[in-house]
Amino acid sequence: MEEQLKNNAPEANEDTDTPLDQNVRLMSPTRMVVRRFFRSKLSIVGLVMIVGLFLFSFVGPLIYTQWGEIELDESGKTEYATAETTYTVNGVEYTLHQTTEKSLKDNFLAPPSAEHILGTDNEGYDIFVRLMYGGRISLIVSFIAVFLITILGVFMGGIAGFFGGVVDNIIMRVCDVLICLPGIPILLIISTILDASGIDAKYRIYLLMIYLTFISWPGTARLVRGQILSLREQEYMVAAEAMGYSAPRKIFKHLVPNVMPQLIVQMSLSLGSMILYEATLSYLNLGVKAPYAAWGTMINIISTNQDILQNHLNVWVPAGICIVIAVLGFNFVGDGLRDALDPKARR
Amino acid sequence: MAEEQKNVTPASDSLLEVHHLRKCFPLKKTITGKVTRELIAVDDVSFSLKAGETLGIVGESGCGKTTLGRAILKLHQPTSGRIFFEGQDITDYTSSQMREIRKKMQIIFQDPYSSLPPRSTVGGILSEPVEVHNIVPKDQVKEYVLDLMDKCGLRSYYYERYPHEFSGGQRQRICIARALSVNPKLVICDEPVSALDVSIQAQIINLLKRLQQEMDLTYVFISHDLSVVKFISDKIGVMYLGSMVEFGAKEDIFANPLHPYTQALFSAIPYPDPDVKMNRIILSGDIPSPANPPKGCRFHTRCPHAKEICKEVTPEYKDYGNGHCAACHLLNE
Amino acid sequence: MSKTNHLSGKEVRAIAKENKKIVKKLEAYKNRKAPESEYLTEMKDDANILEIDDLHTYFFTEQGVVKAVNGVSFNIPKHATVGVVGESGCGKSVTSMSVMRLIQGPAGQIYSGSIRFNAKEADGTEKVYDIAKMPMRDIHKIRGNQIAMIFQEPMTSLNPVFTIGQQLDEVTFINDPKATKEMAKARSIEMLNLVGIAIPERVYDSFPHELSGGMRQRVMISMALAADPRLIIADEPTTALDVTIQAQILDLLRDLKEKIDGSIMLITHDLGIIAEMADYVVVMYAGRVIEQGTVQEIFHNPMHPYTIGLQKSKPTLDSDSDTLFNIPGNVPNPINMPNYCYFRERCSSCTKKCAGEYPGMIKVSPTHYVACHLYGEEQNNG
Repeated sequence: MEEQLKNNAPEANEDTDTPLDQNVRLMSPTRMVVRRFFRSKLSIVGLVMIVGLFLFSFVGPLIYTQWGEIELDESGKTEYATAETTYTVNGVEYTLHQTTEKSLKDNFLAPPSAEHILGTDNEGYDIFVRLMYGGRISLIVSFIAVFLITILGVFMGGIAGFFGGVVDNIIMRVCDVLICLPGIPILLIISTILDASGIDAKYRIYLLMIYLTFISWPGTARLVRGQILSLREQEYMVAAEAMGYSAPRKIFKHLVPNVMPQLIVQMSLSLGSMILYEATLSYLNLGVKAPYAAWGTMINIISTNQDILQNHLNVWVPAGICIVIAVLGFNFVGDGLRDALDPKARR
Repeated sequence: MAEEQKNVTPASDSLLEVHHLRKCFPLKKTITGKVTRELIAVDDVSFSLKAGETLGIVGESGCGKTTLGRAILKLHQPTSGRIFFEGQDITDYTSSQMREIRKKMQIIFQDPYSSLPPRSTVGGILSEPVEVHNIVPKDQVKEYVLDLMDKCGLRSYYYERYPHEFSGGQRQRICIARALSVNPKLVICDEPVSALDVSIQAQIINLLKRLQQEMDLTYVFISHDLSVVKFISDKIGVMYLGSMVEFGAKEDIFANPLHPYTQALFSAIPYPDPDVKMNRIILSGDIPSPANPPKGCRFHTRCPHAKEICKEVTPEYKDYGNGHCAACHLLNE
Repeated sequence: MSKTNHLSGKEVRAIAKENKKIVKKLEAYKNRKAPESEYLTEMKDDANILEIDDLHTYFFTEQGVVKAVNGVSFNIPKHATVGVVGESGCGKSVTSMSVMRLIQGPAGQIYSGSIRFNAKEADGTEKVYDIAKMPMRDIHKIRGNQIAMIFQEPMTSLNPVFTIGQQLDEVTFINDPKATKEMAKARSIEMLNLVGIAIPERVYDSFPHELSGGMRQRVMISMALAADPRLIIADEPTTALDVTIQAQILDLLRDLKEKIDGSIMLITHDLGIIAEMADYVVVMYAGRVIEQGTVQEIFHNPMHPYTIGLQKSKPTLDSDSDTLFNIPGNVPNPINMPNYCYFRERCSSCTKKCAGEYPGMIKVSPTHYVACHLYGEEQNNG
């Protein structure tokens, strides 16, 4: 028996793919990620929320064309107001009857009806339609901002993480300084400057978001730097060094693709916070200005008119709900992606 | 000292020569960047290696064997000492000069799981170095890689697969194929089989031996496992806390281990026969921290034969005939 | 053969659905309330401390059911050391985890089989528990005080924020709620002394990070011993250590074997350690026991081709051959195992019979069993 084994041994050298191995069928990496993502109910909810909002904002106005974004409902009626004033002159009482005719061309603060699904606001604009257009602005602006933040963050973080030393130190100190800047006060100042220089209200929000990009990239840069620092210690990076690859090849072919999962998660989470930022700016009257619609601007109405806050919930609550849905949706998707892309995440 | 070292010339027939190599890592720096405490990972190591030979380096964790391997490849810049490769002094080569040399010296790592990039296919991993170093014309790359995969015992349909689909042994084969893709002369094997199962270890060792003959390779084989090292090496170096305590031809070291540490290492290996009761030398105590090595002979804290002189004077590294070197005071009596 | 060999979405969903059903049932069984009588049983042989009988431990993964332990049976006699040897993924650790009921649910579950353990109560009476049937809420009856475990990683198995003393005292307190602080400390120091720590008072007040790997493993051993267990499971106790430190720990374990009143289940991949430490050897491959016997039988008369190959593929210091013997192929991934000998593809002495169903255990001597078609007719499982 032992003799037999000895004779066979040296030939049986090669690695063979046995039928036992072929029996084993694994999931492809993509399917694994998709499966882990959809296993969580919250991420499905988040995905539905976001897809719904997108359809609502971008496809909605194409279907529901009854009203435009800045189209006033001019079906208002004429109102008559009568006032009586009594005053005494030399002991005789006079009563003055005064009737004023007020033509209210605009149908403002109309309750929800078939004509206006969510009613109209204090100017007479259709709230439902403005929600759609407001969504467009919010989504576009935050996507652009997040895109810019990511590009800048990956670039700076990549350089800092890969080269280390002085470069790393400088970039990271710049990050520290930027994180210290108080966001809202500076935005107020910039907004005033923009007002003074007479820039079109339509573009103001984009300029402000570029400023937001400028102060928000340190978060992404830190994430990328941290990832690259830990990846650099991995043996396959030492192997790449031993292979004699050039620095750009090492950064962009070996390091950045491995940071992608974390980046995608970070992007979806910061989309939520950018939507909040945009809403805040518009609410503070710094962003999109009337007559253009944004969710923040639509809520802003209550700050000037107490009556609407109390009696016309249909004017401002829908915009608030939209903001909540958007932010929650992006956060749910972000969390779902984090669990799906993290290979260590096990249940 | 440095001037003196630069004048060293290598022997003409050696592929790799290392003279008084030293590598320190700073542990503490003052604010001006002056190093106040350092970890001496490799201390004054010298050896030479002819083409086609295999040098086995044995030692326990923290003895500096991995640092030595990486310093030879200049993945760590040596603190002092000289490295000659094919007669050239590569110690002060810039990184762009090194990039050319890299294709002649390669490394295989211990952990086949972290040494392969997770997001490339096997084909991608293997063809990248071939393309970067222009080993073959662009249209022949795939053919060349498939041929290489065949040599290393990998099926051709693995080309499209990702590393995570493979077991440890197959991954280690991919690592070997990657290292050999640039036709190197010298391969540093840094514990290539320690993470593998026994039956797979034997496969990989046999593969390395076969490839050495086919491709005319020179190995520096780093391991903590003496029996594996014995099997594959021509020369053996034993390291303890950063310094080489014994060096010599395999036959000499195994027939006549000079240093007490080498003797203890030999007897520490469990022997797979229940009836053999070994008369074991059991070293007391732990390996001291390399950041704070003992004075004198580094081994004196655990040495069963330590004397007064061992605590004070660092023993000289001397040749005791036939290139069998050791550093121990006991041998001078 | 196709280039990719992936599961389709439909198959994945089917697997998930099937898993959910089984896991739910097993989890409910695990978390049930049950009177003690339900899991009290009898030992087949009173000389044994532990009897594992046809144990199946499965992992219900998304890729399919991994039968990590697939019908394992062996016994651990009183005062003996049983070595379990095998390569990664052979199920040796999962077996020990099943004994401790440390299998992580919901994916990992003991599917069937029994683990009979002869426990000694505080009053000296003996009770036999079927660990596999015990509800999780009653597991404290055997964990720690009856069966203790030594893990592979001495670096991570101690809590870094407590001193060694605090962690050791805790074992005593759990074991004996009436113990005072002084009693616990005295006991802890005694335990540290037992495992050959020279200055136990200093180690008692140290934090784990202040100790070296070898020291930590000694502390782990002393923690396992502190409760005076009847069975110690040592899961690769020296794998993470250096050779010279490993020699120290093995020396210590051999020494302790004489001193303590209990059995040791030693799990390792190193045949050398088995040869030195064990009285009985169990060789596992792909979730099954393929050969078992006394240490002399396994090393001098190995019968299964895998055992023979394993012994030959390890280079020894006095072998002089030019190429190493090796077993071809890879350790199989235990999903969808076929019903024939799992070693068939790697086996160099395979016969026609090997295409048939999985070989049963064949009795070679009263203590030596092998699962291979090369040897005679199948007999009773004994």
